[in-house]
Amino acid sequence: MENHVIDIKNISKIYENNTRALDNLSLIIKQGEWTSIMGPSGSGKTTLLNVIGCLDSPTNGKVIINGTEITKLNRNELTRFRRENIGLIFQQYHLVPYLSALENVMMAQYYHSVVNENDAINALKKVGLDHRLDHIPAHLSGGEQQRVCIARALVNEPRILLADEPTGNLDQKNGEVVLKLIKNLHEEGHTIILITHNPQIGKLGDKQLNLVDGKIN
Amino acid sequence: MFWRILRKSITKRKSRIAIAIISVLMGASIATALLSVSMDVSEKVGFEFRKYGANLMVVPKSDIIDVGFPGVDFGAVTDQRYINESDLWKIKSIFWRNNVLGFAPLLYQVVEIGDGENNQNVVLAGTYFNKDIEIIEPYSTYDDPIFNTGIKVISPWWNVNGSWIENSSDNKSSMVGINVAEKIGLKIGDTYTISFIRDYEDQTNISYYDLTIIGIIETDGNEDNQIFVNLQVVQNITGLSGKVHTVQVSALCNNCPVDTFAYEIQGAIPYVDARSVKQLVSAEMNILGKIEDMMFLVTIVALLASALGVMTTMTTSVIERKKEIGLMKSVGAENKKIVALFLGEATIIGIAGGILGYIIGFALSQFIGMSVFNTTISSRIEVLPIAIGISVGVSLLASILPVRRATKVEPAIVLRGE
Ligand SMILES: Nc1ncnc2c1ncn2[C@@H]1O[C@H](COP(=O)(O)OP(=O)(O)OP(=O)(O)O)[C@@H](O)[C@H]1O
Ligand SMILES: [Mg+2]
Repeated sequence: MENHVIDIKNISKIYENNTRALDNLSLIIKQGEWTSIMGPSGSGKTTLLNVIGCLDSPTNGKVIINGTEITKLNRNELTRFRRENIGLIFQQYHLVPYLSALENVMMAQYYHSVVNENDAINALKKVGLDHRLDHIPAHLSGGEQQRVCIARALVNEPRILLADEPTGNLDQKNGEVVLKLIKNLHEEGHTIILITHNPQIGKLGDKQLNLVDGKIN
Repeated sequence: MFWRILRKSITKRKSRIAIAIISVLMGASIATALLSVSMDVSEKVGFEFRKYGANLMVVPKSDIIDVGFPGVDFGAVTDQRYINESDLWKIKSIFWRNNVLGFAPLLYQVVEIGDGENNQNVVLAGTYFNKDIEIIEPYSTYDDPIFNTGIKVISPWWNVNGSWIENSSDNKSSMVGINVAEKIGLKIGDTYTISFIRDYEDQTNISYYDLTIIGIIETDGNEDNQIFVNLQVVQNITGLSGKVHTVQVSALCNNCPVDTFAYEIQGAIPYVDARSVKQLVSAEMNILGKIEDMMFLVTIVALLASALGVMTTMTTSVIERKKEIGLMKSVGAENKKIVALFLGEATIIGIAGGILGYIIGFALSQFIGMSVFNTTISSRIEVLPIAIGISVGVSLLASILPVRRATKVEPAIVLRGE
């Protein structure tokens, strides 16, 4: 039980327009595990990641992360829980356009707790971008932007990393660089949940889940 | 880091911020302009009082016959007591002395003028024009013991063709009201003779005196029907040496009570009555009050327009930055941090708009001052903090709804495609 980082019990998500995105889904993810989530478009992958990432709440069911029943938390508590436990990597990177690479990482520190420039530089070093600290996102390649996004996700040392198609917008070469980084994080002991459409990438996971119509197939 | 994010979000989004600043600036400049104008004009109205002569009349106490203002009904001044010229300095030694801009004593004599056929009765008024008098016992030792005063000091608006009488011992020159000059057909440089009865007991004993015109006065008031000479000329021909009938006092005062002046002058010279010309003052103030009400309305409308401008830009900005807000939330920003960022931006927009609005508003106030009041408006640095305060207030108020909208942004949007 102790190494169940994430324990999902019978969750459903019904959106306001009555779309049933998740349907009575249960799932256990262990500490340090890499889980690949696959499935057709509209099957509820992103919805599931939103719930695990404390970005959205399920309509029914129970989610326990690191021993905390997050389905009982209010909005502000969710925000605090998220910043302590979850790192997010997005397909669209979502860097703040007017801040430099370094500042984008520091911003995550600021909203987490305190800013430490050295730690931020180290995070960017880890993703091989210490020579691009002062570049604004518009002056970075897509791969570089995704690496800044990864640096931002890991700077606060979350135990769980969630990635929604992190290589979806990248060419193969850049995609491989990013996947290598994620592999390294996995080896360091991070729990990783990664959504992908690419079966090759899916195979990198310790476990592969196939989602269809909001259910694990 | 907060400041860094704020600074960058402003400096890297110049055009958005500029639009918001311009909206604030428009309201702030109108507010500044109207505030400067109304502050300045209310002070200048104090100055304008003097256009109507003095705002205080000093007359001998026993004078039960009403002395008209600002001219004098000459039937009424034939028999009365006088004010001693030697007491006049006391008017400048009261507590409010610094607000006493000047005074002019007046001694009147009805004279006849003309060549015998179409003679005219005219009031000859003796006064000071531009005279240094000695304050024998100044109120304070720091006070200047010499006070320059006279009709030229309290009535600088007089429209004078020719020149003023400058020398107080000049007993030949006269300044003639335009109506007198036209009726008798006199022009500058002419010498004419006045005749008068020195002693009412002996109506046959007529005296004559020659005067030269050096200036023609046009005031649209009673002065147009009078002849002005140095006080000592009238004192000599009437034998009333050292005496004056009335004193006109010009006290510049915005908020201090004119009645207090009157009271203090009466204290300084016990045998006089000092009367304030209150009706005039309150009429002026009334008009000014109405202008101020109107300005206030215009300002409110302008500020509402500003608020609307800021609100629109802020709303656009929140919509544009939805993903950014979601991202901030997804990395752990609580709503209060988002609110702080947007209100910080609004504050800076307000400060910048306030400062620029102050500068533009000052220029605008000059324009209003010149075109409406025909006067320049002095710059008032104390309006600056007011302008900034108003701008920041408007900007913050206008941001309330957009910021509420920002707090409602769901962090989940960061995982959704466009
Ligand atoms: N905010 C929302 N409101 C209403 N319906 C939504 C909302 N978000 C998602 N849905 C619907 O829920 C279902 C699941 O969406 P979700 O984004 O989880 O799919 P997905 O598996 O991530 O698809 P994709 O592979 O295309 O990213 C879809 O039918 C989608 O239209
Ligand atoms: Mg998706």
